[in-house]
Amino acid sequence: MKSKRLGKTQDPTTLVLTSLSGGPKHGYAVIKDIEAMSGVSFGPGTLYGVLARLEDEGLVESLASDENRRPYRITGNGAAALRERLEANVKVATIGFKRLGALGA
Amino acid sequence: MSADKTIDLALRSYPGWWRERYADEVSLVSHDLAAEGHSTPRIALNLLGGSIQARAIGRGMPKSYRLCSLRTRTSIAAATLPWLIVVPFVMATMGSVSFHAAAGPVGWTGFSAYPSHLQFNNINPGPVPPLTTAGHLALYSALAITVLFFVTFVVLISGWSGLSRGIRQSNSPHKRRLRLLAWTPVFALLVDVALVIAQGGVRPTTLTGHAGHFVLSGGNPTVLHVLNIVVPSVAISGWLASAVCVAAAARRADIAPADLRFGKSVAVTVAALFTLLGAAYATWGIGLLMQSRQAATGDYTTVGYAHTGLWIPVMSVLVIAVAVSVVSACAARGSWKTISSTLL
Repeated sequence: MKSKRLGKTQDPTTLVLTSLSGGPKHGYAVIKDIEAMSGVSFGPGTLYGVLARLEDEGLVESLASDENRRPYRITGNGAAALRERLEANVKVATIGFKRLGALGA
Repeated sequence: MSADKTIDLALRSYPGWWRERYADEVSLVSHDLAAEGHSTPRIALNLLGGSIQARAIGRGMPKSYRLCSLRTRTSIAAATLPWLIVVPFVMATMGSVSFHAAAGPVGWTGFSAYPSHLQFNNINPGPVPPLTTAGHLALYSALAITVLFFVTFVVLISGWSGLSRGIRQSNSPHKRRLRLLAWTPVFALLVDVALVIAQGGVRPTTLTGHAGHFVLSGGNPTVLHVLNIVVPSVAISGWLASAVCVAAAARRADIAPADLRFGKSVAVTVAALFTLLGAAYATWGIGLLMQSRQAATGDYTTVGYAHTGLWIPVMSVLVIAVAVSVVSACAARGSWKTISSTLL
């Protein structure tokens, strides 16, 4: 049985960076990709709050577009930051699974 | 209201620089989500949350002096406006203080430096029972609220004089209009004084007595009746108009960096004092609620205020107002830091 007590499993920054690591996407495509990947439904206010911050930090960049649907791309720094974050998550997850195994859970 | 209008209205709550950069694409994404069946009010609420974040943090804002100065001025206005609007009502809703013991009302002559030496004189025969501990807490919290009110008022007046000076020395083409806006409190005060003088002029002037009956005569009762309604209405609306006009002037006035820094300090001080006032008001209400428990265990004097019943609704408004003030003061501090460290 899944528990809701633990709250969100991933933070929005990791989800957006993970989505963009699969290739450049515009806002709507990012929301749909995150929904399919993690079941988390982002609102536009949340998504663009994260995108503005990531752009400010140089972790993503917007690409030129003729339309209003501007695509975003992960930068080299963004990819490195995502890798670091995912490695930390994997480390915690590995230890967690091992300890759960020892408990017989 | 249609989905399109709701979303567009929510998008308008974002700051100008953000709308310039993201509004078109966010609008498209929001409309796509709404067309897909997502709840429009939920999208609008999400956008409102995002706009508060964009205003409070300003992440991604281009680092130009014009934008940072506008953001600092808006934040100063947003940090002081909640105090100006809410606190006078908080003071009014506390009402006057009275003391009661089992034998009846107790007279009070004033505060003492030592809480155990409050000066009471008993209206009824016999010694005055001691005031409950919670009653002391409420009484001294009320004193703290009054002191904080006057200290903050003085800080705001110094901020207002700084703003007037800043407008006078600025090169803004709308200097005259801005000065008029900034001087609204003075005009409102003059109108209030004129009305109070007029009220005094139409009051009954003669007191005639016959067989134990005293009758007031003279003056103009009809005009006095009208003025008794007009004076408080004009005072309240004048106060609110003053607060809004000064905040509008502070937001629009393109003042010099030194005046901006002074305004930022005023905003931070007001937010800090406002937080203390909120804490004192919370303590006051809790003290009043708790004193009955101790009073039930023996002969104690209890403290009472005229409008204690309004504590919970006023406290709720106060919490929101303090939060807005603190967030705005932090934003003012942050954007001033950007100005001073990178743009000057």
